[in-house]
Amino acid sequence: MTELTNWARYRSPTYDELIGPDGKPRPAARALTGYLSSLTAAELADRRLAAELAIKSLGITFTVYSEGRNVDRAFPFDVIPRTIERSEWDRTEAGLKQRVTALNCFIADIYGKQHIVRDGIFPGELLEKSVNFRPQCVGVRPAGDVWAHICGSDLVRDSDGTIYVLEDNLRVPSGVSYMLENRMVNKRVFPEIFESSTILPVDAYPAELYDMLANLSPRPADQPVIGLLTPGIFNSAYFEHCYLALQMGVELVEGPDLFVGDDDCCYMRTIYGPQRVDVLYRRIDDLFLDPEVFHPDSVLGVPGLMRAWRAGNVALANAPGAGVADDKVVYAYVPEMIRYYLQQDAILPNVPSYLCMREDDRRYVLDHIDELVVKPANESGGYGMLIGPRATKAERAAFAERLRADPRNYMAQPTLAISTAPTLTDDGIEPRHLDLRPFILAREEPYVTTGGLTRVAMTKDSLVVNSSQGGGAKDTWVVDLDEGGN
Amino acid sequence: MLSRTAENIYWFGRHLQRIENTARLVNVHAYLSLDLPRHVPLSWGSLVEILGAWPQFSTRYNQGSEAEVAHFLIADEQFPGSLRSTLSLARENLRATRETMPNDIWERVNELYALVSARGESVTYRRIRTDLLREVIDQCLMTVGMLVSNMSRGVPFQFLCLGLALEQADMTTRIIDVRSSGAVGDGQRDELTPFRTIQWMSVLKSLHAYQMYRREQRTRVSAPRVLSFLLHDRNFPRSVSCCLWAMQQTLPRLPEGHRVNEALTAVNDILQRSDVARLLADEDNAALGQVLDDIQLALGQVHNRIEQHFFQPD
Repeated sequence: MTELTNWARYRSPTYDELIGPDGKPRPAARALTGYLSSLTAAELADRRLAAELAIKSLGITFTVYSEGRNVDRAFPFDVIPRTIERSEWDRTEAGLKQRVTALNCFIADIYGKQHIVRDGIFPGELLEKSVNFRPQCVGVRPAGDVWAHICGSDLVRDSDGTIYVLEDNLRVPSGVSYMLENRMVNKRVFPEIFESSTILPVDAYPAELYDMLANLSPRPADQPVIGLLTPGIFNSAYFEHCYLALQMGVELVEGPDLFVGDDDCCYMRTIYGPQRVDVLYRRIDDLFLDPEVFHPDSVLGVPGLMRAWRAGNVALANAPGAGVADDKVVYAYVPEMIRYYLQQDAILPNVPSYLCMREDDRRYVLDHIDELVVKPANESGGYGMLIGPRATKAERAAFAERLRADPRNYMAQPTLAISTAPTLTDDGIEPRHLDLRPFILAREEPYVTTGGLTRVAMTKDSLVVNSSQGGGAKDTWVVDLDEGGN
Repeated sequence: MLSRTAENIYWFGRHLQRIENTARLVNVHAYLSLDLPRHVPLSWGSLVEILGAWPQFSTRYNQGSEAEVAHFLIADEQFPGSLRSTLSLARENLRATRETMPNDIWERVNELYALVSARGESVTYRRIRTDLLREVIDQCLMTVGMLVSNMSRGVPFQFLCLGLALEQADMTTRIIDVRSSGAVGDGQRDELTPFRTIQWMSVLKSLHAYQMYRREQRTRVSAPRVLSFLLHDRNFPRSVSCCLWAMQQTLPRLPEGHRVNEALTAVNDILQRSDVARLLADEDNAALGQVLDDIQLALGQVHNRIEQHFFQPD
């Protein structure tokens, strides 16, 4: 065993995904850690370099806007995978399916008869202040009453080992292409280990996504025409849009490629003339979708698209308005939704949450603001939140002021000691904090990716894993121990 | 097929061909400078002229030296015609068509872009530059080779061919144009006569045409024959005639492609009318310059027709 992989000296400040508190690898990680131990430090550095080269030549990038222009950044990638034991994953998967089913029941109910409000489970006044509630969607019935077709839920593990759902992304969740590419890179870099252990494959996603989209076609008899609607090459997730369109063999379209005719059908401009589009996997936010209905100056969207959607002539995934359920305050009600719609207990717990609109909760949050993470209801990407223990006194005071002014818009959670995994850094292998974003396709029998995208905070002690703020990624291995992987 | 996708593929072809020709042009020019006597100044500025880039060049550079021109044509980020900028455009074209174009092409162009970006600033050193440009030329040829070998001959491929052929026809006329604008100073006829031959050879080499010319003509290099070869030869793929023929072949496979035919015929008519002996008769090559301009304008019309018909319908 080399100095580098001497696990006995590896210490995580919290729960570690690969190494137990006794310094011994967990069962699902044993094959991996054994393999790593067989490499010298120089060999491991070589593999790391090979991964960087592969990422560069595959063009795995995300776009950031800096110094007045768009720059492509290679996605920071850690070669050491994160492992999950299959039995644990099966339970997680069941919890995610349950959750996405309940969320879709909720969205359909909210834009329909609102039983959950009338039965006093969910406070109706929350809707009035929700920035993601779209009155234009009330009364619409998308196929199968599914609104959030593609959901990305963020999971974290606390120091006691419990896996919590941190948030659900129901608008345009991104990252799945990195999950797929990470696996490809890891196969190039560590081909030996894939031969000797049972790591479940992740490649099915594009095909599953295609089938789900094709099923939404309003003209089921014909071969459906499917487009992926992207804001264009300046969007930070453009790489992913290309990647998915390519993998599914669908058209990658931008707003100006589409128009809605007098017949309320959506068409794309082709060299053969207009061609009708049946399904749009849209990666544009609601408010930019249709300048006739939302932002009138949006050039990304398609005038009349909402008209075509309401007439049932084009399916949109995710449906406009689905974001009403990924509000961080609405999030707190998900366990009750599961009970209300499915008559089940939630398999995956929420992080305990304090809603600042409730007087008791608000008082608690203000008194304990130095211990809590306080989040605005509708921000994503880790923006606009306060990490109490790490903020200065002045920052906390300023935040408390904003919270008092608009309590509906804030919620707070205890600061979790989120789990770590061994990560190759310039100083050797060190623990880094991470989360997991699985992707769920809502349909009659929901589909969940095998594992998901593991995002890791590359900076020591940092808890922020978002790529826009310096986070990276790891390949995620769901390891089947029963199939001789040990 | 989306009009925008077709447009991007067409432009990818144009950009790719432009990159290769520009790289070759700079390298051949450098070799030519080695062959000319010391007291005959070789104008590097003529390269800037070929690409019609004087206005952009003169605002930011002053000497028109080899180092400056090489930097401008290869590494300049603000000049949209530099290798680096053109590669970046080609990359954006591919990025917008990744679902249509073969996957490995993206990897290759991406790597080439990274290479030129990384090495670009050292191009003032001739040795580094020569290697870099050779690599660029090789990678471009390999990319075209991969596309020709691996891509189905459907509509996307036809747009690629249109772009490649139109750009080559245009670049061929521009490269011939160096001669008529006088890369080697005209006037001192007697002393420079031997070097004129070298220069026409360099025109051929800029188009990778020297060997094919020799096999076809089996005689020494002379201005009228070179000109005739590069404008009219039916077999050499970079001759203007051959490029026009290649474009013609794509039209039957494109929806209502015949609507572009008229513009192509117009270019052909100019070619047919131009008699090389007459073009080279006058002292300052004004007639040649005029015909090359006419061809370039007519090619511009072909481009406009393609754009109107396929990329901006209705």
